[in-house]
Amino acid sequence: MNYSFTLNDLLFMSQGALITFVLTISSGIIGTFIGFFIGWARSSSSKIIFYLLGIYIDIIRSVPLILQFVLFNSFMAIAGYPMDPFLSGILTLSVYISGYVAEVILAGINSVPKVTRNSSRGLGMTYLQDFIFIVIPIGFKNIFPSWTGLMLGLMKDTSLIAVMGATPPELLRSSQIIINRVHEPILILLGAGVFYYVMCYLITYLAEKYEEKNHIKSMEIR
Amino acid sequence: MIKIKDVHKSYGDLKVLDGIDLEVNNGEVVCLVGASGSGKSTLLLCVNALEGIDKGEVLVDEISVHDKNTNQNELRKKLGIVFQQFNTFPHLTALNNVSLALKLVLKMSKKESNDLAEEHLIKVGLKEKLNHYPSELSGGQQQRLAIARALAMSPSYLLLDEITSALDPELVGEVLDTLRMLADEGMTMIVVTHEIPFAREVANRVAFFHEGKIHEIGSPKDLISNPKKIRTKEFLSKIL
Ligand SMILES: Nc1ncnc2c1ncn2[C@@H]1O[C@H](COP(=O)(O)OP(=O)(O)O)[C@@H](O)[C@H]1O
Ligand SMILES: [Mg+2]
Repeated sequence: MNYSFTLNDLLFMSQGALITFVLTISSGIIGTFIGFFIGWARSSSSKIIFYLLGIYIDIIRSVPLILQFVLFNSFMAIAGYPMDPFLSGILTLSVYISGYVAEVILAGINSVPKVTRNSSRGLGMTYLQDFIFIVIPIGFKNIFPSWTGLMLGLMKDTSLIAVMGATPPELLRSSQIIINRVHEPILILLGAGVFYYVMCYLITYLAEKYEEKNHIKSMEIR
Repeated sequence: MIKIKDVHKSYGDLKVLDGIDLEVNNGEVVCLVGASGSGKSTLLLCVNALEGIDKGEVLVDEISVHDKNTNQNELRKKLGIVFQQFNTFPHLTALNNVSLALKLVLKMSKKESNDLAEEHLIKVGLKEKLNHYPSELSGGQQQRLAIARALAMSPSYLLLDEITSALDPELVGEVLDTLRMLADEGMTMIVVTHEIPFAREVANRVAFFHEGKIHEIGSPKDLISNPKKIRTKEFLSKIL
């Protein structure tokens, strides 16, 4: 058995980073999709829907993610539908992030002044036209930085999926696998940290470029 | 013609409109004055159904505005409305601010809507600003943009809610000039304003609002120069 860090290990870690990326993208997309509709429903519907969905959000935000992974996995197993940990990981992460996204979406919708919406409705636009052509573009610009922040957090949270031994292993677990053999925990974990940093940096960089291009930070309503 | 008949409205326990009766004839300019909180803005929102009412009726060209069977989106095409601020769509250029509803509501083609938008922006003096975003316009220009946007829909009526109140004093004139032009063209308008000299000059009638009621109404000469009621006098002496 080879006890030193090899090029193969580096490739193995890169593959882990790729998996982390895939986990982030897929649960980010699904979670944003779910969160969008929850946030929207909370903005427009009855008080009852507002509070019921508020409970959903509160639960998601108060139970530690790692517990949600374990609970969801065990629940599916007990219910007789044992699920691949990788898939159940994506689902749990999606639901988890949807709670946060829903709050950001609601804030975005509420960031559009009532008067601006009265202006578009006053021109004869329907509720849906106002929502699609006025509320979404204005709200999107207002919440884009918060949403990016959520996605960065999500990427780091994907590491918690390691507890369930999902395959293929994401970045943290692939590092642990190497550590078990090489016994250089600090060095390898530092390496993993660098991987996380680079990926975060990439997302932040792209987001900033996008913000610059669309005058997001400097945007004023009036 | 706009007929407002015994309109009542409350927000929770707060009675905001307490039996408003007002008829506005075609070609007429009616100015609404009164203290903040007296219900002027709420009345305008009730006229184009952006707010509901508790009792009474509003008729626009004999169509009952709050009737369940009335298509309010259709009705609002007849009623342009401009507010004190936050009128413009910040993510759209001046041209697109105007052309959006032309496309979505009036179903015009891209070319038709852009041409019409340009025409109306030129009319309010924004020829040089067609492709500028609202954040690149002064407050007065933004208000003129909002007026142009309303006018491009060819409304029969304009509802204007303190459209100069958020402006720096030197920008008020250009917006009032635009309104004078519209009044000369015979546009029917309900104008909430604190610009008493403007009301005196342009209005056919002035209504003084007090606690959700029209406390006194008359020609500008009567109401502004010779108010009969003590509260009207008090109010006018405060703002003149
Ligand atoms: N959406 C609303 N919800 C609750 N109260 C409101 C709302 N809009 C206006 N009001 C209240 O109604 C009263 C009349 O407001 P408004 O019509 O804006 O008066 P004005 O335009 O004459 O200043 C005020 O006391 C105001 O606080
Ligand atoms: Mg007002």
